[in-house]
Amino acid sequence: MNKIETLCLLCSQPLQSAISWKILLTKQFQPTICDRCSARFEYSPTTTALYQYNDAMKDYLHQYKFLQDVALAKVFRQELHARLKREKATIIPIPMHPLKQRERTFSHTGELLKAATIPFVQLLEKTTAETQSSKNREQRIQAAPLFRLMIGAHVEHKEYLLFDDIKTTGTTLQHATEILMNAGAKNVKSFTLING
Amino acid sequence: MKYKSWLLPPALRDFHEGRIWLKEHAPFSREDIEKSITRKYMQLIEGIQIEPDLKCNRCHNENPQQFTTFDCSKCQQQCVYCRHCLNIGRVSSCTQLMIWTGPRAIRTRKHSLKWAGQFTVLQQQAANEMLESVKAKRSHLLHAVCGAGKTELLFPTVHFALEQGLRVCIATPRTDVVLELYPRFQTVFPQTIIHALYGGSPKQEGYAQLVLATTHQLYRFERAFDVMFVDEADAFPYTFDETLQSAVQKVKTANAPIMLVTATPSHKLLTQYQNESYSFIPKRYHNRPLPVPRFHSLWNYEKSLKRGKIPRKLKQWTEERLARKESFLLFFPKVELMKIATPLFQLLDGSIMAVHAEDPERKEKVLKLRHEEVPGLLTTTILERGITIRNVQVAVIGAESTIFTSSALIQIAGRVGRNAEFADGDVVFFHHGITTEMDDARTKILYYNKKGFSQ
Repeated sequence: MNKIETLCLLCSQPLQSAISWKILLTKQFQPTICDRCSARFEYSPTTTALYQYNDAMKDYLHQYKFLQDVALAKVFRQELHARLKREKATIIPIPMHPLKQRERTFSHTGELLKAATIPFVQLLEKTTAETQSSKNREQRIQAAPLFRLMIGAHVEHKEYLLFDDIKTTGTTLQHATEILMNAGAKNVKSFTLING
Repeated sequence: MKYKSWLLPPALRDFHEGRIWLKEHAPFSREDIEKSITRKYMQLIEGIQIEPDLKCNRCHNENPQQFTTFDCSKCQQQCVYCRHCLNIGRVSSCTQLMIWTGPRAIRTRKHSLKWAGQFTVLQQQAANEMLESVKAKRSHLLHAVCGAGKTELLFPTVHFALEQGLRVCIATPRTDVVLELYPRFQTVFPQTIIHALYGGSPKQEGYAQLVLATTHQLYRFERAFDVMFVDEADAFPYTFDETLQSAVQKVKTANAPIMLVTATPSHKLLTQYQNESYSFIPKRYHNRPLPVPRFHSLWNYEKSLKRGKIPRKLKQWTEERLARKESFLLFFPKVELMKIATPLFQLLDGSIMAVHAEDPERKEKVLKLRHEEVPGLLTTTILERGITIRNVQVAVIGAESTIFTSSALIQIAGRVGRNAEFADGDVVFFHHGITTEMDDARTKILYYNKKGFSQ
């Protein structure tokens, strides 16, 4: 995963990596997409997400999750790293159902964090293989518990940060927060890559 | 009594013959697929070859930059996948590809050719030469100027091959061209099952003995075609992408000839074919010379446009077209510059539109120009080939830009005067300095005209 990209991961145009003092001195990640592609993404005004959902994000998620292009986990590693490197809370990515994960061959939330070299732990397990995107708002809110604690998982009395790729109604994060709070967490925050 | 054992569904054979397909993406039931594997109707191969070098077994990509390694949750190991052909379903080292080795589909030899057109002497000669090459199983280069009637030329050869029971593929780099060719071939070969394959094409029934496909769709075939036609053999991304060239090699059977068709062959292609199997048509079907481009200096056009001003000569040219009610195409080297220029041109006429590669209304806008609903279009090189508009005038802005190679410029000039009623027209290259590519394009066009009208 650490190879240097010479072509933009999204549009395959050659990348001109201009070496700057900033890159040399601050140990930044090498860029993986060109300026034109990165200009299409829109930063989120909220503090709990990095980006706002738009057409560029739709294309990105399609290629990353549906076409299973794991390499795209690297696209936002610099931004994610900068945002989460000083995080004191323990980071928990929202897990996928094991069957779903085998189908997709990777966990999209875990890979995003891995690419950004952010340490994380896993305490939760998904109980259903249904997807949130197949349900409407009412169905989402009324859904049975989506998660349970992993066998042998130990929730301490401290702060946790849940990480997901996209937040639409917030049901997924809500469910996970409840499980952790009931198990004795002191506080649970959440952070997503995209605000839907 | 019902037959209890498994019978091979003909649709499965018709679909899979000649194709190389991801096992998990097969459009048939799991049971049928498993049965055809145990019957040895299907050969299974690994998706990615690891030793001696990384290679994608579907698209034959060997560029290590185009592979990504990751921890796979399916096989609990490190897997490699190919990013080159990702768009048609990911191939990774833990997926398998299926190749049909079972009984062959039934090919009919009854194909009628319903075409009443007349060839010119030059066209007839080239068509005969091409037919001879297919008979001798020899690769051939057809070099014909823009508007020479290349598509019609293929009909006799395609017909002959189909009647021999051969499977034929016509590959072209652009979806637009497939969409334009498909209805034409359907009317000309009414008895033949023809499939048109491009990104997002619908599912089509039966065994197609004639396949029209974009070059990207070729990755899904293997040793399938007995005659390969490659249209616009020089066009991006065909010259650009070496893997596409090897794709053409892998989709044809061992002895299948390759028929290259182009208006602007590269030097390499010419030297390769010129002394062996080569047809040349320097004249258009309507027997009028090709419009010769004029060069016009337009110094600092970029600066001027960015300051919100259309350079005087360009403005004059556009106003003249508008006054004479002639359709026009303005080619820009970059999308960004085109976007800056669009509102400026719309001040001259509000209905002028701009079109670029990712434009969702691309097709509609071109149709509007064709139906004369808009006076003109601003465009990038995407409209450089394959389109025919009745009475169109063309200007290239910044013809010195590297994107305008001599072949691109020849193709652009070739948009003009394609119709017999409007066989002439204006082609201007507005430039900030003349490049050798521009000179080359003009010299070649003059040469074709000299060749075509020397008698």
